[in-house]
Amino acid sequence: MAPEAYELLSMLMRYVFIALGGLILLRAGRQMLKDARAQKKELKKLPDAGRIGEVVDLETGKHYPLPREGMIGSSKTCDIRLRRRGVKRRHVLFEFAEGKGVRIKPCFGRKVWVEGVPIKATAYALHGTKVTLSHANIRIRLFAGLNVPHPAAFAAQMPDAAEEMPRDVFEMPRPFEQMMLQREMDGQPQDEQPQAFIPQEGAAWPGFDARGIPLSQELTEENDEAMPYFSPVQRNRRSDRR
Amino acid sequence: MSKKKKRHLSPGRALVGTVMLFYFLAFMLLGLQKMEWQCFVLAAVVPVLILFGSVGITKLYPADTLLLSLVNFLCALGVLVLYRLKPEYGMSQAVNYGVGVAAMIGCTLLIRYMPHFRLLNMPMMLAGLALLAAPLVMGVEKNDARSWIAIGGFSFQPSEVVKVLMLICLSTLLARRKVIPAMGFAAVCVLILAVQNDFGTALVYFGTAMVLGYAATGSLLLVGAGVGGAAAAVLAGSLIMPERFSRAMSRVDAWLDPWADPQGKGYQLIQGLVAMVNGGPFGVGLGVGNGTVIPQHQNDSIFMVIVNEFGMIFGLMILAVYVLIILRGMMIARNSRTRFHALLASGCAAMLAVQTFVIIGGNIKLIPMTGLPLPFISLGGTAMVSCMCIIGIMQGVSARNAADLREDRELALQGGDGL
Repeated sequence: MAPEAYELLSMLMRYVFIALGGLILLRAGRQMLKDARAQKKELKKLPDAGRIGEVVDLETGKHYPLPREGMIGSSKTCDIRLRRRGVKRRHVLFEFAEGKGVRIKPCFGRKVWVEGVPIKATAYALHGTKVTLSHANIRIRLFAGLNVPHPAAFAAQMPDAAEEMPRDVFEMPRPFEQMMLQREMDGQPQDEQPQAFIPQEGAAWPGFDARGIPLSQELTEENDEAMPYFSPVQRNRRSDRR
Repeated sequence: MSKKKKRHLSPGRALVGTVMLFYFLAFMLLGLQKMEWQCFVLAAVVPVLILFGSVGITKLYPADTLLLSLVNFLCALGVLVLYRLKPEYGMSQAVNYGVGVAAMIGCTLLIRYMPHFRLLNMPMMLAGLALLAAPLVMGVEKNDARSWIAIGGFSFQPSEVVKVLMLICLSTLLARRKVIPAMGFAAVCVLILAVQNDFGTALVYFGTAMVLGYAATGSLLLVGAGVGGAAAAVLAGSLIMPERFSRAMSRVDAWLDPWADPQGKGYQLIQGLVAMVNGGPFGVGLGVGNGTVIPQHQNDSIFMVIVNEFGMIFGLMILAVYVLIILRGMMIARNSRTRFHALLASGCAAMLAVQTFVIIGGNIKLIPMTGLPLPFISLGGTAMVSCMCIIGIMQGVSARNAADLREDRELALQGGDGL
């Protein structure tokens, strides 16, 4: 092509390139907004996304969402901030370990007790475990469906870890006992009560699967406390449509 | 009469289509100028590669289409501009891009399926330091910096490889709240680079470490201590090794007053500024500009060439594309479930941001010129591979976020909701 003709064509095309560049930016921006909106919508439906349960302050009754990992302390940079006497700025690290529970590791020189037993290196907490940080007592509550061992099955599988484990992890209300209690309260005849169940390694409790997840999917505000685990919130739940 | 249903193209697909059209037209235009068959082949091949790189790759593994489209746009722009400057550059960059895509896929899979790097952290740190220090022993000096290693006919820049290692190591340490070891490692890396006279890369390492440190601790005191420490180190260095620092100071002099030595130190900056002003808001047209007169037009001055031929408006658009990539990285970091992944994604975004700022800031005379490559566009194999690895890390974290969200959704359903 003749240089003059090419120069003319090139000068014409520069506007096309700028227009296409603008279109690319516009479309990228639109896509970004669309993705951000979709993410926001998804998180609105699942406000507990990224969390594995909650921590309950046993003195004040305050509930704190429990992320998969983080730090508990009195500093504002901590994931769970407990402004209590004796709780240091950075007191204890926690991390969810699949199939094991919540790994608890005190920061250097900090005093932490799990179910009254002082821990030196690390310990695993399950649903219902009480953790003491200096003068603050908290209880860990985990969501149902998480890959954690049932407290009883866990104790059967790891007898040698009993020292490191919460002392009265076995004393937690067992699903079977809860069912009996519930039936008693409901006024059901004694002969209809289920037979006593001796848990075997990996076996399930009646009404629960091997991981301690309730087979019944019904969850109401009344029986929430009786459930061994609770469920993450879904905004489309009837009870949440207030 | 039935209404004809109107089909709406999703913004993602429309974006890929626009990018493909852009490069088809650009390579066709270059082909008309040069009348070379290679150009016409590229006009067909590059859009197909963009389609594969942006949409096809998402069929192989879960990837962020927007991020891929934007990165592909910049990479293809690099191939186009370099081909226009010298066809050999363009072909070489196309090969670099192919290798970069393979590295990106590798990094994505690594980050997606490896939950942490705790066991590998120490070996990676030691390997990184050894690689970074290697040019001091067996390095080759290029453009005043002794930061290259040549083995046989192949040469590479270890600092580009260590960039990726440093991101992973810093994120691992900071995720475990080990701030002092993390900052110590970063300081040693910066020191080695300063001794090699590679101040531009040292600035990128320093900036990224500061951003990561602040993201992990939220402490401005740490940033202040870092900046103060760096200032003290520069002062001490200028007293201990005045010769090395005099070279760096000559760049500062050229930045402050390039017209003091227009044929020497200020030549590159003056030529670049003249080329950009000559381009004006709309540019002089693809293939018509005189970008080849700018020294280092294929590396650190490539932004000047783009502004010269495509115009200042297009230059601003390129900046906006970088901003979108960085914002996307921050968005990925925000959606991460673990501290390690959040820090990793924000570190990647910070590294790209600092590098882009340093190079474009140098080109527009905002800060002294440093000699860094513009991410995804400048000619350079190691630089391209490291930038694509950074994008691969972002993609890996994004894929992990998607899997975690799926898991959360299942958890919410499994727990029972009374529906």
